[in-house]
Amino acid sequence: MIPVRYNYRNLVVRKTTTIAAAFGLALVVFVFAAAQMLGNGIKKTLGRSAAPENAIVMRRGSSSEMESGIEESQVNLILAQAAQIGASKKPPGVGEVLVVILLDKIGTVGGVSNVTVRGVPEDVFAFRSSAKITEGRAAAPGTDEVVVGAGIRGRFKGLEIGQSFDIKKNRPVKVVGVFADGGSSFESEVWCDLHTARTAFGREGYVSSVRVRLDAAGKFDAFKALIEQDRQLGLNVQREADYYAKQSEMTADFLTIMGTMIAVLFSIGAMIGATITMNAQVANRQREIGTLRALGFSRSSILTSFLLESTALAFLGGGVGAIASLALQFVKITMLNAGTWSEIVFSFEPTPAILMRSVFLAGFMGVVGGFLPAIRAARVSPIEAMRA
Amino acid sequence: MSGLFLIAARNLGRNWLRTILTVLGAAVALIAFVMLRTVLSSWEVGAEYAAKDRLGTRHKVSFIMQLPKRYIDDIRNVPGVKQATWANWFGGKDPGKPNEFFATLAVDAPSFLPVMDELVLDEASKTRWLGDKKGAIVGDVLAKKLNLKVGDKYILQGSIYPGDWEFQIDGIYTAARKSLDRSQFLFHWQYMNDLLPEARRDTIGWVMTRVDDPSRSADISAKVDKIFDERDTQTVTMSERNMQLSFMAMFGAILTVLDIVSIIILVIMLMILGNTIAMGVRERTREYAVLRAIGFLPWHIRFFVLGEAVVLGIIAGVVGVGIAYPFVNGLMGKAIEENMSAWFPYFRVEPQVAIMAGVIAVLLATTAALIPAIQAGRISVTDALRRVG
Repeated sequence: MIPVRYNYRNLVVRKTTTIAAAFGLALVVFVFAAAQMLGNGIKKTLGRSAAPENAIVMRRGSSSEMESGIEESQVNLILAQAAQIGASKKPPGVGEVLVVILLDKIGTVGGVSNVTVRGVPEDVFAFRSSAKITEGRAAAPGTDEVVVGAGIRGRFKGLEIGQSFDIKKNRPVKVVGVFADGGSSFESEVWCDLHTARTAFGREGYVSSVRVRLDAAGKFDAFKALIEQDRQLGLNVQREADYYAKQSEMTADFLTIMGTMIAVLFSIGAMIGATITMNAQVANRQREIGTLRALGFSRSSILTSFLLESTALAFLGGGVGAIASLALQFVKITMLNAGTWSEIVFSFEPTPAILMRSVFLAGFMGVVGGFLPAIRAARVSPIEAMRA
Repeated sequence: MSGLFLIAARNLGRNWLRTILTVLGAAVALIAFVMLRTVLSSWEVGAEYAAKDRLGTRHKVSFIMQLPKRYIDDIRNVPGVKQATWANWFGGKDPGKPNEFFATLAVDAPSFLPVMDELVLDEASKTRWLGDKKGAIVGDVLAKKLNLKVGDKYILQGSIYPGDWEFQIDGIYTAARKSLDRSQFLFHWQYMNDLLPEARRDTIGWVMTRVDDPSRSADISAKVDKIFDERDTQTVTMSERNMQLSFMAMFGAILTVLDIVSIIILVIMLMILGNTIAMGVRERTREYAVLRAIGFLPWHIRFFVLGEAVVLGIIAGVVGVGIAYPFVNGLMGKAIEENMSAWFPYFRVEPQVAIMAGVIAVLLATTAALIPAIQAGRISVTDALRRVG
């Protein structure tokens, strides 16, 4: 076995080549990790909005709350059914109105985007116990006051405490507070009074959806069966988590597929780059290798040594790339989510699995890229090499 | 001169394995580059091919809110407006395939077809559709996906307009312009309106207008919005192009990321090329010294290095674009147009992108060779000859 120190010295002596090769690998790993972190970010952001014991009731066939409409009279029926199954916390559920409105985006010229406005009942903060007012105060019930999520606060014109914006002509609403909800997609919404939303958007007598808080996640199936068996109601029940998973699916898939395709092409390029570099190393070190063989090191230990060197190089580059990608978690991205048609604020979210995969990819590139040159090195004939 | 160039080019044959690997590496980077650029250019197809003389009018506050039907008459009376039609987003699904997404629109067929003239429908189908109350037409891409033929009965499950709605397929349309989504389901607005409860009748989603003179579209848009300014429901009117642009801007973050990544690719490519060239120069230090010793000038040496790089760049460009073209157009483009037609109705490599990629390959190769070339020219003859290497 050739001492590892030999490989280490090689990498240090040929600094420029080492840095160039490692930098290339680092870029690949960086892009690979970033794409997955982005896809994960949007999934997580929407996923956090779901509580395991919550169910969401919408009109059958609706793909989002925006499309759905439930008559006021059905809301109490739904809540009564939930109570029968077991929903003892107060309040057991909320009926909300959801619309998206166009607002001017700050920091762009003439840029506008869709923002979700949720008409919520008075007891919404009791229902979503993870949501808290972090600044200002809660909106007074029955007024034109609203609270905005911490994510979109200040990103649009009028979405700052003390400012106001129109939800309808001559119908301004005033921002009195900011709320946070542990980084969920609710932080990208504006919450206003249910009745204000209904009258402003012509939804009198309707809500968009009803959320129900069951006593245990296990009671979901019974609840779903109870509501859906009444075909007359025409309602559909989903777990909140499933609903949000579907909302993020399209954008997250697009990001992940796009990212993976780029990463695959990138890594082929990087592997070829590694092969070129290692091949040149082998060619330059013919004499050295010949000497090692003459000293009695076997072919297999030469092979191992070169593979080790390229893999170490790859891990070095991969590690740098993965660490650099971690810095992205401080970047916040605001983008239209294809599932909800409205702006959502999210960030790159790393997971140990993503980092492991990225570093593993680097190792893989090192092994594959170094394999051919290593075989070539192992086949060097000591006599010819020394004579050259 | 051409003789020198040939010598430079022949140097590539000295280490076949390395040349082939370098060309492959650069080609792969070019493929990724062409792919990303195509995503970006296809994304902009909607704006680029938008009808210049068409305006859209919708609710000022929210696209999910409706306009009163009578607005259409007000708009038709605005001077400069040639034709106007309207549509509602129906939001229907195939009850058997709830995960299949396609646009379902309720339109006023007699006025819709002349305004949307890029929609190609044969005369027989047109007559059939106009005469059939429950009739619908579908794009050829959707027809293939749902396996629909003319004469089929089809049921959509409504969400915004609840219930099961029955239709008969009267025709299959194709597109005369790349920007038209070929997976839409279009049916008569009147049929829907008649079946709605009293309170929801006579509302429309948006209005599409054709104007006489495209250069006056901003002026006409302002006039339209002014009419409704004092009414309960205000409107926003803009040209189809601006509408597409503002929609695209909502996805600005992704587009910026793709832009950046396509530049990172070029950096990677530069490094692969630069590495190869630098290694070649390093190995040939002695040789260059000999050439200098027998009377070649520094610029000759530099020319050798640069000439070799240019040839390498050309080969890489040809191979890369040569693979990218059929790959993106044939394999990827087909799959994307069929499955994501609502987003990318047309996904093909633009000729400019292909040419740009080729030029970039040559430029990058030359750039990568600059420093090694300068260094090669500076070789000190005595030192290099003395060196043991």
